[in-house]
Amino acid sequence: MSVPVLRLGDVLIASIQAALTDRDLLQLRDDLSDQVGRFRARGVIVDVTALDVLDSSAIRTVRDLAHTTRLRGARTVVVGIQPEVAFAMVQLGLTLEGVATALDLDEGLALLRQEDA
Amino acid sequence: MADTTFAGTDLPRRAEIEIDEQEVNRRKQFLEFRADDAEALKSLEPIAEQYADPVIEDLYRHFLSFDETGGFFRDPKVLERVKRLQREYFVRLTEGDYGADYVRNRLGIGTVHERIDLAPKWYLGAYSFYLRAVATRLLEAFGKEPQKAFSAFLSLMKLVFLDIGLAVETYIAARDRTMRKQQEAIRELSTPVLQIRDRLLLLPIIGVIDTHRARLITESLLRSIRANRARVVVMDVTGVATVDSKVAQHILQAVAAARLMGASVIVTGLSSNVAQSLVALGIDLGTLNTAGDLQGGIEDAERILGYRVVRAAETGRGPQLAERR
Repeated sequence: MSVPVLRLGDVLIASIQAALTDRDLLQLRDDLSDQVGRFRARGVIVDVTALDVLDSSAIRTVRDLAHTTRLRGARTVVVGIQPEVAFAMVQLGLTLEGVATALDLDEGLALLRQEDA
Repeated sequence: MADTTFAGTDLPRRAEIEIDEQEVNRRKQFLEFRADDAEALKSLEPIAEQYADPVIEDLYRHFLSFDETGGFFRDPKVLERVKRLQREYFVRLTEGDYGADYVRNRLGIGTVHERIDLAPKWYLGAYSFYLRAVATRLLEAFGKEPQKAFSAFLSLMKLVFLDIGLAVETYIAARDRTMRKQQEAIRELSTPVLQIRDRLLLLPIIGVIDTHRARLITESLLRSIRANRARVVVMDVTGVATVDSKVAQHILQAVAAARLMGASVIVTGLSSNVAQSLVALGIDLGTLNTAGDLQGGIEDAERILGYRVVRAAETGRGPQLAERR
């Protein structure tokens, strides 16, 4: 299942609605990386609100995705990490170092706007 | 010893500790309580019936002459009932069947003692009195055969020590339960997450942090972040006396988890002792946002959130109360 990517001004929004396979996530990484260039996006938001489980390889892919899009010139914010997921990630020692996070989509957009200003 | 039930229940409540047949047998083996002991006690039944009343009268006279034990029997009705139960108990000692039922019954009695707050010292003292009273009667009953009286008494001793062991365990179990409840209460009391401004939470931590509590704190923090849409959390550890590497690890985990949810954490109240020991332990707290005290932490948080706190007087709108005077 592929993840639809929405465009809102110069921000790309990928909202993950169901648990994804590793391949789907890698596909998402490539799509976003590609579209950042095509649409000259300044920011990317990955919304994981709907996920109540994130395994370690998914977390790593999300981190790589964020670093990749940053290198392509767009700030990436991961939003909507659920309390249980956050707790599990910390227990695994996977804390998304160097990746911006925000409570939800609203907050993520506000964060990107704030940095533009 | 005997049942001092008075709180309205004739039947002792179900005991909390369960002891199965196998355990009972093991205890009897250790006490060297054998079939012939049971036989010997059974043979005393007629004597028990005969002497039950005088022994129990003696016992309660003794109870009533002390405030600490007499206090339980102010109501004559209670006294009557307890005496009756005591009599049953006395005769029960010579019934010859000392299996799981017997043990359950004894445990129930212990539970009652604990509930009415009869301290073990009175229980044990009363038992000593009881044994002496029984010994005297036994000698009397066997008349010219004191040897037999003595051997019967030894059998009784074994059974009595089985009883005492059970009673003591009931006391301990009840204490354990109280302690567990208190610990739970403390745990619940000490992990509040308070909202002090829109999107600003205060998490005061008091007392010892162990792994279990750290987990509870982190979980309630994360839930509160979502529920209150918090962006900044001030975690105050003034009330944490010592911080070792484990506790530091817990704090770092909570901070990292909060960040994943988009909230930044400011840790306040690290005392100089704690700070020094953390540095000495070589724990990397480089990622930690800190402020000296709670006030500093809240001020930092307000800055992040874009609040500016000004005294009313400076804005030209003086306090209303002052004007009215």
